[in-house]
Amino acid sequence: MPMNHLTGKAIGGGIGQGLGKLTSLGFGMELIYSFVIIACSLMVYFSTKEMYELSSHKGIKYFRMAFLFFAVAFFFRFFIRFLLMFFNIPRTFEFSHRFIGTSTLFLFLYASSMAIFYLLYSLIWKKWDFKSNGIYAFHFLALMVSIISISTQNIGVLLSMQFILFLFVAILSYFSHKISKKKKSPQLHLIYLLLFAFWIFNILDILIPNFLSLFQIFIYLISLGIFLFITYKVLRTVGSD
Amino acid sequence: MTKKRERLEVVRDILKIIQDNHNSIKPTPLLRHSNLSTKRFSIYLKELLEKEFVKEMKDKTGKHISITVKGFRYLEKYQNIVNFIEEFEL
Repeated sequence: MPMNHLTGKAIGGGIGQGLGKLTSLGFGMELIYSFVIIACSLMVYFSTKEMYELSSHKGIKYFRMAFLFFAVAFFFRFFIRFLLMFFNIPRTFEFSHRFIGTSTLFLFLYASSMAIFYLLYSLIWKKWDFKSNGIYAFHFLALMVSIISISTQNIGVLLSMQFILFLFVAILSYFSHKISKKKKSPQLHLIYLLLFAFWIFNILDILIPNFLSLFQIFIYLISLGIFLFITYKVLRTVGSD
Repeated sequence: MTKKRERLEVVRDILKIIQDNHNSIKPTPLLRHSNLSTKRFSIYLKELLEKEFVKEMKDKTGKHISITVKGFRYLEKYQNIVNFIEEFEL
């Protein structure tokens, strides 16, 4: 199904438009939302810097990289939103025909896929006995996802790929937790799964503007809650100094 | 059979031995106290020197190893690092 035929207005029609106006967020809120998530991600990245420099622990490295990529992805997500508003473009696909649109969308998709992969890799690198170049396979996969999504310009292909990625992440995360000897924090896997699921909603929200207008504010609030919770957990464990 | 120590734990143990010896110890007693094979000890000592956790000093009595500021910082942060790895199952 071509992406430019799919918009929230086309799908939702007039249903709940009034409520949609109330719950969909303006540019100011979009700015605050992006700022808080980018700030949380960078706080996680920089607060664990010394810990990684001292320990050279690969798990810490992948965990930090995931949040660096989240910051980059949310920056490009916000930039796309800004361009759509600035040029008054109603659909992301129309915008993706321009060079700036194509490159921004490509970077957003690549960074978002890598964020998820790095977070997943931080959980499984030890247990699944990957070779040291295992992460390059994920870079390659993220590149492929981004290239195919951009070149086909088809929302169906893109969402299917994101959904397959989500299933892949969920299954690996589940088995990684199952074989974990310590099983110290089962809620961590739940938080990660929620993070992955809401990440798809965030992608959907940027690719099909107004599609989720009825639920946009809830998606933003839950996404913020997840990032704030992880940041709190990290800062508490890292220590006050 | 005791569990093989993790890399972070071995580094901590080596630094702790040096610290407990008034921050100056010769390589041979350090090897003996660290409970490592000569080969593994050499790898760890090389890594610690490269990362500037320890430094080698020579005097009339021979070579001595002592902890640097960075090494002391590692000892301070060790428990936080371990807690972090466990908390996030890294």
